[in-house]
Amino acid sequence: MNSHRLTSPAALGQHREQLHSRRDPNRTIITLCAGTGCLACGCEPVAKAFRKAIAENRLEKSVDLKTTGCHGFCERGPLVVIQPQGVFYQRVKPADTKLIMDQTIKGGRLVQKLLYKDPLTGIVIQHEKDIPFYKKQMRLIFGKNGFMDPTSIDDYIVLGGYQSLVRVLSTMQPEQIIAEVKKSGLRGRGGGGFPTGRKWASCRKAKGEPKYVICNADEGDPGAFMDRSLCEGNPHAVLEGMIIGAFAIGCHEGFIYVRNEYPLAVKNLTIAITQAREYGLLGKDILGTGFDFDLDISRGGGAFVCGESTALMASLEGKIGEPRAKYIHTVDAGLWDKPTCLNNVETWANVPLIIEKGADWYAGIGTAGSKGTKVFALTGKVNNTGLVEVPMGITLREILYDIGGGVPGGKRFKAVQTGGPSGGTLIVETSQDTVHDSLVAHGDIREDEEAVSLLDLPVDFDELTKVGSMMGSGGMIVMDQDSCMVDIARYFISFLREESCGKCVPCREGLGVMWNILNNISLGKGKPEDINALEELSQVIIDTSLCQLGGSAPNPVLSTIRYFRQEYMAHVIDKRCPAGVCKELVSHAINETCNGCHACFKSCPTNAIVGEPKKLHCIRQVECIQCGACYQICRYDSIKRVKRGEGEAIQQRASQSWMPAVRKSEPAAVA
Amino acid sequence: MAKVRITVDGKPIEVEEGAYVLDAARALGIDIPTLCYYPYMTPYAACRICCVEAQDGKGWSRIVTACNYPVWDGLEVYTGTPRVINSRRMNLEMLMASTTPSPVLQQLADQFGITEPRWKIGTEYTCILCGLCVRICDEVVGAHALSFVNRGSYRDVSTPYNLDSDACILCGACAKMCPTGHIKMEEIEKRVINHRELSLGPNAAISLPFRQAVPNVPRIYRENCIHFKTGCCMLCATVCPKECIDFREVDEFEEVDVGAIVLATGFDNFDPTPMKQFGYGKYPNVITSEEFEMMNNAAGPTGGKIVLENGEEPRAIAILHCIGSRDQEYHKYCSRVCCMYALKFAHLVTEKTNAQVYQFYIDIRSFGKGYEEFYQRILDEDVNIIRGKAAEVVPSGFRRGEEGHLLVQCEDTLIGKFREIPVDMVILCTALQARADAKEVARKFNISTGADGWFIEAHPKLAPVSTTTEGVFLAGTCQGPKDIPDTVAQGSAAAAQALKLLCQGEVLMDAAYAAVREEFCSGCRMCNGLCPYNAIEYLDDKRVSFVNAALCKACGTCVAACPSGAIVGRHFTDEQIFAQIEGMLV
Repeated sequence: MNSHRLTSPAALGQHREQLHSRRDPNRTIITLCAGTGCLACGCEPVAKAFRKAIAENRLEKSVDLKTTGCHGFCERGPLVVIQPQGVFYQRVKPADTKLIMDQTIKGGRLVQKLLYKDPLTGIVIQHEKDIPFYKKQMRLIFGKNGFMDPTSIDDYIVLGGYQSLVRVLSTMQPEQIIAEVKKSGLRGRGGGGFPTGRKWASCRKAKGEPKYVICNADEGDPGAFMDRSLCEGNPHAVLEGMIIGAFAIGCHEGFIYVRNEYPLAVKNLTIAITQAREYGLLGKDILGTGFDFDLDISRGGGAFVCGESTALMASLEGKIGEPRAKYIHTVDAGLWDKPTCLNNVETWANVPLIIEKGADWYAGIGTAGSKGTKVFALTGKVNNTGLVEVPMGITLREILYDIGGGVPGGKRFKAVQTGGPSGGTLIVETSQDTVHDSLVAHGDIREDEEAVSLLDLPVDFDELTKVGSMMGSGGMIVMDQDSCMVDIARYFISFLREESCGKCVPCREGLGVMWNILNNISLGKGKPEDINALEELSQVIIDTSLCQLGGSAPNPVLSTIRYFRQEYMAHVIDKRCPAGVCKELVSHAINETCNGCHACFKSCPTNAIVGEPKKLHCIRQVECIQCGACYQICRYDSIKRVKRGEGEAIQQRASQSWMPAVRKSEPAAVA
Repeated sequence: MAKVRITVDGKPIEVEEGAYVLDAARALGIDIPTLCYYPYMTPYAACRICCVEAQDGKGWSRIVTACNYPVWDGLEVYTGTPRVINSRRMNLEMLMASTTPSPVLQQLADQFGITEPRWKIGTEYTCILCGLCVRICDEVVGAHALSFVNRGSYRDVSTPYNLDSDACILCGACAKMCPTGHIKMEEIEKRVINHRELSLGPNAAISLPFRQAVPNVPRIYRENCIHFKTGCCMLCATVCPKECIDFREVDEFEEVDVGAIVLATGFDNFDPTPMKQFGYGKYPNVITSEEFEMMNNAAGPTGGKIVLENGEEPRAIAILHCIGSRDQEYHKYCSRVCCMYALKFAHLVTEKTNAQVYQFYIDIRSFGKGYEEFYQRILDEDVNIIRGKAAEVVPSGFRRGEEGHLLVQCEDTLIGKFREIPVDMVILCTALQARADAKEVARKFNISTGADGWFIEAHPKLAPVSTTTEGVFLAGTCQGPKDIPDTVAQGSAAAAQALKLLCQGEVLMDAAYAAVREEFCSGCRMCNGLCPYNAIEYLDDKRVSFVNAALCKACGTCVAACPSGAIVGRHFTDEQIFAQIEGMLV
């Protein structure tokens, strides 16, 4: 096993040269995304089919199949990119592999039906780099994902991996590294945005031995999967960052705390660590320089709170994952009361890049306070869901429209929620009167002032905090007109209430009380004073919570009240849910625009809809459970969500004025 | 340690670096309410009731918890700002909303003017999850039997898998710490404590051995002390200002050279539990004579009052003689003292209460000086004396619905009838029996015990205090049951015997004794075990055996046994005897 061991920094360079010489740059490589998203879309049978096709065509010598980490464009998985040309195929089925083999690999032609067609412009795009989803991105961290097999250290080395480590070990002093990281302006990507260089410097200065470095891969935000994809797709980048960090801080032991619910991440990280040890990049006497450092993986039990640094350390120690007060910093007394430097996966992965390209180059990307790129998990009501890596300072509009492709189904965009469950909901769409009124009520603007849309807000740590949200680890959930803000707040509070460690009163009991109030509001039992009580509770919870989970937990409530107070008032006073989500407050009714297509009839799970084809349909109010299935399926906007009890009147009016309809055209997609 | 200067509510104070705000505030006499704080454990900061406002005087301000916020130079703490009061009140309200408020919460709520929380989530739980129980079990007791389980709203305190924990040492610390009374101690088995007040059972881990003990200082009972179970705790040592507590102190063995030994090891009380018919251990109001004596003591648990377990005065008391003595099943001998103390009990009961007294006896043995007269006096005091050993004590009552009282069944041999006497209390006059370790003690002193376990004197009539071992004397009940005058008399006699030896300064002994000729002794030690008087010891330094001439009775066993002929009897030598025989024969 020691045959691979690289005993000097130069040996790594030689090894890379060897690998280069052995690899033919013009060799055809079919790269198949095997990130979790594409796995779920069925990339495994596709890989099998490709292998079979290669074998059948006896092309083993000229064609390689590479299953890579996440490419980010999960909406369109499974993704196939044919290298070196970079031909991009999407939504590939096992049956399509034969086509690709015959036409593209052997025939050099493109398979039209598998190419990406821009839904907005209708233009067919051949190459990955030209797709709008990728065009605006700056894939510094994720760029390598598409070119390498995450289980192969050689792939990483060929792509220039561990070059930064070599540079650090052979030419740099620890202080120099820290100075470089400080200069780069890198800030922690876990959410807090603490300057990484400063953290390293204090950890290096802290008294106590041994010191530890920890990689926080306990990603718990609903809908976020950046760290997961990075651990799965490019684990060596994380390892390299950690080794460099350990060298800079002066520590010899590290841990990667990763969720056990990420089996592929655990597997790939384990493989990566084993390979790095074999190559002498981990363990005793790394690359013959006398520096010792080793890593262990610790698997978390799936508690959201264990993403909090002190709770994570408690969990690592084998205790209950609950935070402690951080009046004494973890860089002074962290894991087992020793100086500990904990950084997020993405932060560690940024380190080799800074060393490789230089702090000045890195500091050139982004805004004054936030440097480099940030990966976001774009989910919710947006056309292109997936992972996007963008430079700091990009506007929300660019992320949502240029990269995300806008809101599907012609619905009106309403808001975007950033920063995970304890982040805030940002209103971006300000054209609604209710938002204006809410902002006036909150005292943000004067009556005669116009509300400023936040769509052009540059995304960076400080800007997001200013408007009541936060960067968080990078979740971005898009909401359209059908999202009820009370319901959203209730969902996030419910999540946090269950995921709070339960140690301190404001977080445990306060969130319980808040959830209760929000639940009552959504059930139509709210009282006007409830909204003030929510604000009052939020303030005390923020003030007195022990850790940042509690300290930021009321954000979703505060920000929704700030921008959507009118929506709350509608729930409380009118007993009406404007978005039609809160079931107790809503009725479904069919109006006179119904053309009797009968689609709703079939979709209704309780057979509450009566009507014959080409006749007016009607919802029997008593039997309707407000599930909204008919609302989703109706293509003619004939089903209305109205205030509870008003449905009957609409249907009566419809029965009087209904005329056999002329078939209307489909509503056009709204950009 | 370095000192830092801070102000609390404007009052300056100098405290040690590393101290917490709460310590400083309390030192200044400023009250900060707490729910999860205990001075001998790491601050946990879960209740957030102790929150205060920390400022640096330059505009920075933050709500922090006083119990775990370390002081720093220039820190300004405010404990009564509207923001602080509001935070405390709201946190309290949240707690009250989700638990059934316990007195401790209610009391705090009164302070903050909360009559009713604005919200009610409604749970039956009183637990406020302050973690005191978990932490005391973990940090102080060291048993680690309790922990938090689940998280968020579902958080709870429990043992692993909600099962009875093997790690629990039943110390009860968690229940004692619990501010809301959520944790209670539960009897594992249905156990009836005999007259709870009088229980001679386990004491607190630290207590005075008994009232007016000499020296009057508390002692630690290892069997109850947490420290000797888990190696942790030591709270008593932490709180003792004089640093008097030393856990390393153990029993020491000391060797004392003495000229005489008086054995006065006393007796054991017979345990009547096996005699199921009398219900001792089953009915709380069946007690032994020793327990009655304790109750009757003015310095005892009831202050000398004769009461039932429920605190009421008994209406009738039965005194049962010969429990365990004069009994073929247990001890055949008479315990000698019971008759008279039973009569004394009767006298005390009639003097202190209005209760009827029933004596159940086989024979009244009032043989001492003035004893018979005392018996006659008791008879005149209207005490019911029933000849007949009680057969059984059963639960019953004076009237229907008074179950729980007792019925003593016996055959009254004077009238030849079976009788049932209803009483409230039964006193068992238990037998005196030899100490459980009497045989072991006897072996150590090379004396003997009789069939009943009492030590045997050298001669029942001519040497009643001496034993077969020279210099060892007997005094008191270790030799056999006897009352106080007899014991005093024997004790004095034993002392006199001992003094007789000591005053002489030297021991007059027979000329005949065995001696080891060291030059011939091979050190085989064969003689050591043979000597019936333990007179021979082995000298390690010289590697020879040595006969203590003062103990030797010149029996000659060792002389005959010595394989190398090293031991000689110091009297006529073999040669002399042979010469004598020869002389006689010639």
